[in-house]
Amino acid sequence: MSTPAPQPAQPGVAGESTASETEARTGPYTVVVVDDHAMFRSGVKAEIGRAVAVVGEAADAETAIKVILASRPDVVLLDVHLPGGGGVEVLRKVHESDPDQKFLALSVSDAAEDVIGVIRAGARGYVTKSINGTELVDAIRRVAEGDAVFSPRLAGFVLDAFSGSIDVATVDEDLDRLSQREREVLRLIARGYAYKEVAKELFISIKTVETHVSSVLRKLQLSNRHQLTRWATDRRLV
Amino acid sequence: MRVDSGSTRLVSRPNQCEARGVMSSTKSPGVDAGSPGLEALPSPVPVEGPASIPPQPTPPPEPVEGRLDERIARKAQPTMRATEFTARETEPTADESRPRATRVAEGAMLGGVCTGLARHLGLPVMLIRAAFVALLIFQFLGVIAYGALWLLLPAEQTAAAPGIEAASRKGFRDQSKPRRRVDWGMLVALVAFGSGLLWLVQSSGFGISQQLFWPVAFACAGAALVWRQADTEQQKRWRAEAGGKAWLAPFVARGGWPALVRVIVGLGLVGAAFGIVFAQEGHIDQLPEVMAMTTLALAGLAVVMAPWLHRSRTALNQARADKVRADARADMAAHLHDSVLQTLAMIQRQADDPKVVQQLARRQERELRTWLYGEELPETTLKAALTTVAAEVEDERGVPVEVVVVGDCETSDAVQALVRAAREAMVNAAKHSGADQIDVYAEVDDEHIEVFVRDRGSGFDLDTVGDDRMGVKGSILDRMERHGGKAGVRSSPGEGTEVRLEIMR
Repeated sequence: MSTPAPQPAQPGVAGESTASETEARTGPYTVVVVDDHAMFRSGVKAEIGRAVAVVGEAADAETAIKVILASRPDVVLLDVHLPGGGGVEVLRKVHESDPDQKFLALSVSDAAEDVIGVIRAGARGYVTKSINGTELVDAIRRVAEGDAVFSPRLAGFVLDAFSGSIDVATVDEDLDRLSQREREVLRLIARGYAYKEVAKELFISIKTVETHVSSVLRKLQLSNRHQLTRWATDRRLV
Repeated sequence: MRVDSGSTRLVSRPNQCEARGVMSSTKSPGVDAGSPGLEALPSPVPVEGPASIPPQPTPPPEPVEGRLDERIARKAQPTMRATEFTARETEPTADESRPRATRVAEGAMLGGVCTGLARHLGLPVMLIRAAFVALLIFQFLGVIAYGALWLLLPAEQTAAAPGIEAASRKGFRDQSKPRRRVDWGMLVALVAFGSGLLWLVQSSGFGISQQLFWPVAFACAGAALVWRQADTEQQKRWRAEAGGKAWLAPFVARGGWPALVRVIVGLGLVGAAFGIVFAQEGHIDQLPEVMAMTTLALAGLAVVMAPWLHRSRTALNQARADKVRADARADMAAHLHDSVLQTLAMIQRQADDPKVVQQLARRQERELRTWLYGEELPETTLKAALTTVAAEVEDERGVPVEVVVVGDCETSDAVQALVRAAREAMVNAAKHSGADQIDVYAEVDDEHIEVFVRDRGSGFDLDTVGDDRMGVKGSILDRMERHGGKAGVRSSPGEGTEVRLEIMR
């Protein structure tokens, strides 16, 4: 089932990021594009092809799993809706054999269920398909470096899901609520601020912003907060 | 030539609208009057003259107080229609406003019967649960009633947006429901409580006589096993929850040998129950006993058959409902494809004007997205209002407006003033900033509502601009103050602008 992907113990902590930097990036980041629309795949390839190396592509879940495990790219661009069980299936199967594979979810659907679902299955970020090339490359880089990518909409969803009081005595309180700082960061992201602008606004470093966002991502993936799952399924039914 | 074919198509449009009006003749009058379909079709194209849309759409009408409501209502209608559709789909004949009694998986402790009943009757769940437990005292009536309702109530079906439903059907989405965490402590407590209660009832003398108790218990267990066969909805879920665990499969899998085993065990238990009674009553004492046994056996058979009969009847109803739904869907799909075709045709015609092409594409995208994946917003909330004005600004100005809302509330005078001010801020950003996107963020909490309208455009120096920026002063700052709210503008050249609006609820 949707076992959340094992996370690095402390996301965003120096050790991890320096490791990826000292790896001596000889070439651009490698990317696999998974989407069932051939037109979209070629479009994305044309847009990001200069900045990153697209090493493989797939149109359904089964092929995707094979391609990803064979090519081990830095980042997988993963469509949420996919023949053969959807993006979540790909995430689950790939993470069974390689828990460190990084995914960036892409979708045309903004439905909360899908967004939260794919994040909880282990994606490191979520962007809508209308994102432009530069922003997409930026998001890929961020995910490749171990950070999380939150669109304003995702930030809004998270704030909504973690709002209100917790009505059950939960096992792990830390996981189930956002800290004041995390909330501030998310609010700014929801207001359309880039990480850099958030950092400037709150007088903190970009690295700290990234740490906060990674920590929110971890909570989103690991929290068993009762409302979280309910919220995502409930909110559509007004 | 091209123009010609374009205008004939446009001329023929009224027919389509008419056809659709017939299709949805049960709509409320407001919907027809607004004819949302017509509005939804991307055709601000004049019917007469060469069919081309003006490169710059009509200048935005200055928002007149009072018209906003109307516009919101009008815009919200497509959404409303969608709501109506789903409502009709799930229960084509029901006319009552209260929800139909169903089994609700969400928040269920056993089968979701109590939750469903509570929703249906409008009573607290705890009360219903207590009632069932109380009924236990009288010959286990509670258990029997609960069991019967579990079997007879249909499982709740939630209709998702068509895009999502289609994706689910085709296996494009992850289908497994989040597994409920099994709380073993609670389970043990429940079992302990149950057996204790059983003991108490049995020993108090209110229960079923000792002689009959075990046979009845056996028979119930057997019948339950057999009946479980019928409950396919539940099984589908359980199998998904078993997640390939082999040892769970015989208990939860459907069809094949597990089902056979279950039937045999079930019938065996029922038979054992009869056997016990028979043995207790003596050997070949009286014929009437045997006769009674035969009757019971037949009754047992009926018990075994009933689920299938029940299911087939439900399946028939389902098929009928599906037909209605399919028809409605086909009509909608036709309409959508038509509107997309129109947009594509217009894009081809306007191919040399990137601005117009972008605007057309963006509008069509928004329309499709809302229809396919959108949530159904009640039309009188802040969220609906903000989404509507954002869409208007987007259409008028050709700048994408991204709206994120956390929490929601009903509209009031103050909220409407807030929305108008927000609209003004969006228009300002679109007009003056030169930014390629506007972000709108609204947050509603218990005490107040905050709205941020932000662009990453040119920005301006607040000091140098001063009073001549009447748009900002009059329609944003003053309006907010009149309604007991606050407004602030933050901007500096090159950094973009952010307008912050705040109002108490």
